[in-house]
Amino acid sequence: MIRVATDVGGTFTDLVYFEIDKKTKKAKKISNAKSDTTPPNYEKGVFKAIKKSGINIAEAIFFAHGTTVIINSITERKGSVTALITTKGFRDSLEIARGDRPDFFNLRYKKPEPFVPRYLRAEVPGRIDFLGKEIEKLDSKNLNTIIKTFKKHKVKSIAVCLLHAYANPKHEQLIAKAINKKWPEFEVVTSNELTREWREYERTNTTALCAYVKPIAKNYLDRLYTELKKFKFRGNPYVMQSNGGIDTFDSTKKTPLTIIESGPTSGVLGAAEIGKLIGVKDIIALDIGGTTAKCSLIENGNVKINTNYWIEKNRTSAGYPVMLPVVDIVEIGNGGGSIAWVDDYKKLHVGPQSAGASPGPVSYGKQGKNITTTDANLYTRRINPSYFCGGEINADIKSVDKYLTALSKKLKLSKMETARGIIRIANNNMTNALKLISVNKGHDPRDFTLVAFGGGGGMHATSLAMELNIPKVIIPINSSVFSAWGMLMSDLRRDFILTKLNKMNLESLKSINETFSNIESKAIANFKKEKLQKNKIQFQRFASLRYLGQDHSVEVPLPNGKYGKNELNKILSTFHNQYEKEFTYKLDNPVELIQFHLVAIAKIEKPKLEKRLKTGRKTKDAIKSRRKVDFDQFGDRISDIYDFDLLEPKMTFSGPAIVEDASTTVVIFPGQKCTVDDYANLHINTKKKK
Amino acid sequence: MPKKIDPITVEIIQSSLQAACDEMFIAMRKTAMSSIIYEVLDFGTAVTDSNGNIAASGAGIPAFIAMCDKAVQAVLNKFDDKEIKPGDIFATNDPYNGGVTHLNDVIVVMPVFSGKKRIAWTANIAHWPDLGGMAPGGISADATEIFQEGLQLPVIKMFNQGKPIQSVIDIIISNSRVPQYTKGDMWAAIASIRVGEKRIRDIAEKYGRETFEKSVELFMEYGEKSSLDALRKLKNGTYYGEDILDNGEKIQVKVTITNKEFIVDLRNNPKQDSGPNNASYDGTVVSAQMAFKGVTSSDFICNAGTFRPLKVICDEGSMFNPTRPAAQGIYYETDIRSYDLIWKTISHLNPDKSTAGSFASICGTFMGGTHPDTNEPFIIIEPQIGGWGASAAGDGMSANFSAFHGDTFNTPAEIHEARHGLYVDQMRLNNQEGGEGKYNGGKGIIMDYRVRSKNAWVSVAYTRSKTLPWSLKNGREGSANYIEVIRKNKKIEKYSVVTGLGLEPGDIVRIYTGNGGGFGDPKKRSKELIKNDLLNEYITKAQAKKYFGFKK
Repeated sequence: MIRVATDVGGTFTDLVYFEIDKKTKKAKKISNAKSDTTPPNYEKGVFKAIKKSGINIAEAIFFAHGTTVIINSITERKGSVTALITTKGFRDSLEIARGDRPDFFNLRYKKPEPFVPRYLRAEVPGRIDFLGKEIEKLDSKNLNTIIKTFKKHKVKSIAVCLLHAYANPKHEQLIAKAINKKWPEFEVVTSNELTREWREYERTNTTALCAYVKPIAKNYLDRLYTELKKFKFRGNPYVMQSNGGIDTFDSTKKTPLTIIESGPTSGVLGAAEIGKLIGVKDIIALDIGGTTAKCSLIENGNVKINTNYWIEKNRTSAGYPVMLPVVDIVEIGNGGGSIAWVDDYKKLHVGPQSAGASPGPVSYGKQGKNITTTDANLYTRRINPSYFCGGEINADIKSVDKYLTALSKKLKLSKMETARGIIRIANNNMTNALKLISVNKGHDPRDFTLVAFGGGGGMHATSLAMELNIPKVIIPINSSVFSAWGMLMSDLRRDFILTKLNKMNLESLKSINETFSNIESKAIANFKKEKLQKNKIQFQRFASLRYLGQDHSVEVPLPNGKYGKNELNKILSTFHNQYEKEFTYKLDNPVELIQFHLVAIAKIEKPKLEKRLKTGRKTKDAIKSRRKVDFDQFGDRISDIYDFDLLEPKMTFSGPAIVEDASTTVVIFPGQKCTVDDYANLHINTKKKK
Repeated sequence: MPKKIDPITVEIIQSSLQAACDEMFIAMRKTAMSSIIYEVLDFGTAVTDSNGNIAASGAGIPAFIAMCDKAVQAVLNKFDDKEIKPGDIFATNDPYNGGVTHLNDVIVVMPVFSGKKRIAWTANIAHWPDLGGMAPGGISADATEIFQEGLQLPVIKMFNQGKPIQSVIDIIISNSRVPQYTKGDMWAAIASIRVGEKRIRDIAEKYGRETFEKSVELFMEYGEKSSLDALRKLKNGTYYGEDILDNGEKIQVKVTITNKEFIVDLRNNPKQDSGPNNASYDGTVVSAQMAFKGVTSSDFICNAGTFRPLKVICDEGSMFNPTRPAAQGIYYETDIRSYDLIWKTISHLNPDKSTAGSFASICGTFMGGTHPDTNEPFIIIEPQIGGWGASAAGDGMSANFSAFHGDTFNTPAEIHEARHGLYVDQMRLNNQEGGEGKYNGGKGIIMDYRVRSKNAWVSVAYTRSKTLPWSLKNGREGSANYIEVIRKNKKIEKYSVVTGLGLEPGDIVRIYTGNGGGFGDPKKRSKELIKNDLLNEYITKAQAKKYFGFKK
């Protein structure tokens, strides 16, 4: 029996699997395989990775899949011709957007182009108010004419988003029903299937994006499923969602925009799972890849979700909102391939431009001329020049020297000072991102453990931890394919969010209790289609609360069950405390509940992980060599180089040291102490010696 | 002074300053009570050096970038160094004394100490929805003296060494028609500058006070250098421009550009207004700063050094530099007039940035009444979005906030309806004529508020409702900003300035914002673009024929 997860990334398709011992039900061995990503037929890469791993997919009892197919078809604008049906008077909502212009001094600013052009945006009369009451009947007389126009323009997919449909989806459902019945050739997405939150532009754009990718996503998942069947896969395949859970192929095909951030999310989830395994609940997860670094905060074992997610938003563009539950990730343009450059004023910057996969960093020897963070790590000999990319590439030291010289001349610094500077600036960029999710939200980094993964996680995590006074860093085993590993550990998860205003007082309790109970019934009914039993579903309640009159709210966890006066007071005091923690003050103003959030989780049985075997090897026998490594403020130090694969539980050693395997380098600074745990994860104590 | 400053450390400190401002900005946005702050982002944050020179800022509005420094300087003028202690918080909203704009914009500032030495200030400016005055929301087109516009906070101390001075706070709160909002916004502002204070203190502790101070100094030198470089690319000379206000008066400017200076001479302009259409000298400087930034370099570096080459001259007692007690409630329309005038005069100097005129009004819209579902009072204070001017690079942008605003968000119809108890019947692009050209001006909007409550009112003070957005190279002028009030009996009233106009249930307030000016002869617009305009119903067949000479 095996359990498999595959993660299609920008460059590589990763596969991770466990073999499960039939008797003990324990996971015997974690193995992985990598293959090139193969656009546009991504399933080919998946099967190449399967072939490379040598597993027999017919033996798989579990198959989870993460993919960039959705985000790629959006960024490359390769979705289907999409139309929109909306409320009379609001055809231009997508084009007007919110009127914002982050590029302050640019009077020739261009708004991001809507995904549905004006001629494919149609209006229908009919009104629901914010309380969900119908104040004007839906008039779908002109639907025939609308569809005729859509057909003329070869529309494949229709988004339906009406005003206040979050409060009452009746009109949207009527339109969808009519189209499905009379014109089944169209894909239809209604806003209420995706979200029940208010703000019409955000909801309309989310619905339009979902319709835009739906045909492609359906097609892709169908192809993948057919291939899996061909290889006699008998289980139920799952797709990683942006909310930190997995869901079935069938459910995903209905609203595929939910998998927009499936890759990064599973990494964060993996960090939470590692935490559970070794008893660490408060974690900062950090994923450093080739072009970006992503971080997310996990508090008390819970991955944080929010629905204020934007794509293509930056200092010069307003971007596009995606109003779906997405793991709260801060992403910055700093990774191993980030380019170091000097501006007209002799100031050194790192990123956000990246050398990408081609030509890549200078050291790859593929004619790259821009020094990157990876090159700086190589020059300081933190990366092993003679074991570059696991020995697959001969590091082009000569070119690194040449282009670093050019850069250092502009700065009037030595080459080593320049290389250190690049690393320090990259670290500072990442520190600022880490502050955004921690200190900035009232969390003290000293209470957290940094779990770092991705190609560059181990290289930077220890200095970041020193910078932020994070006492401990964990570098998980298999850290370069950690996202795929996270998928193996996920459960089936669906989020139900509903905007519905209620004052937090005794009079509203009835309405609050009813609303939660209605959402729970809806969730159970929703899982019924997947043939899941009621008792297998766990609920977690949250609510967004705010002081009456505010807009931004704080999401607080709520108990299950029916609420009375006691529960109300408890909830209020949780809110006041959480609010004060985040914003330094609290008020005695009335409190309002603005949004209900129910997380429904169907647990998937998972094997227990087997610990790494102890052979009694001595710690010093895990040392493969020694080399001089530059540790910035600690200077050049002769360091022990440990082989990650030879490490065994309970081994301990101190920096200056480097731990390497084919795809990971872990930098351990002088004075830091590293311990290997039962699963061969590294625990690095970063407290400064006094 | 440390012997040798390491350039990497300098860079890290400078980017940390920006990060601190951004953090302050986020804290304010999340905790503010009023939609004008959290949704419209009518606020800004800043860090200055110990003498009140702006070091870095975070803002939702470009107009708020270089405002907070004036408040810090006003505090330094009034208080001895001995009176300024760690944990103190000062406030001003007086446009004649560090407040820059109007009484609704309250600036709170806090000194940052490293050890015993003051090394910086953190500051926050935000539009508080009501601080008293003759009209709800403080702003009235009928005001003739600043005393009618609300409570004045003439550079006062609010917190003493971390402790609130309760009697001062009580005065502020009790002068507001919406005390709960005011209290919330006040605490949000304080949370914001405290976050910044802590962050700056951490930076200075980590890298050392002297290194910190030197880095700030170098950052300003960098700002200045970047401005001078951009200035050298503009053709030296003296440029004259004029514009006609909606009341028929002429305004004019002379801009002199040398390799080292950018002098904005706004002398010989109309005397100060007997109403609230005045902007303080500081406010006029901010307008000139924005135009300067727009034509030089549009990067995000904005500190005291950036604006060193800029000089602004105004006559005392004029609308651009009034004397007390002139009212200044609608300062923003006066500021955008001077800004637009300067932009019109100099934008051609940089062909990569030059544009035709935009709708160029804040279109400040104020409505109030009782929410029919909750029976609670509501106030709407919002700027509107409109059409921008076309340029040699293409059509202007539709439905954006004015150049005064930046990362500002309009209020969704769904939130309007829930929060304010009215119906938004439509929110669409303005299909009126205006702005046709080889490249068209961007479109304004048409938005309907249908009133539900019995005692509702509306006030507006729009400009550019008579003199229209200018065109370039034979394009057509843009269109006007105004509102219509469509009474239940279908009678239509039209206004661009009105205060406290009573409304009945069923009345519709229809807002029109202008299309931007066109660029180039409409007859030269490409067939493809016209076909696309027709397909998308941006223009009618009749318009295609009339203005663009399009047949078939």
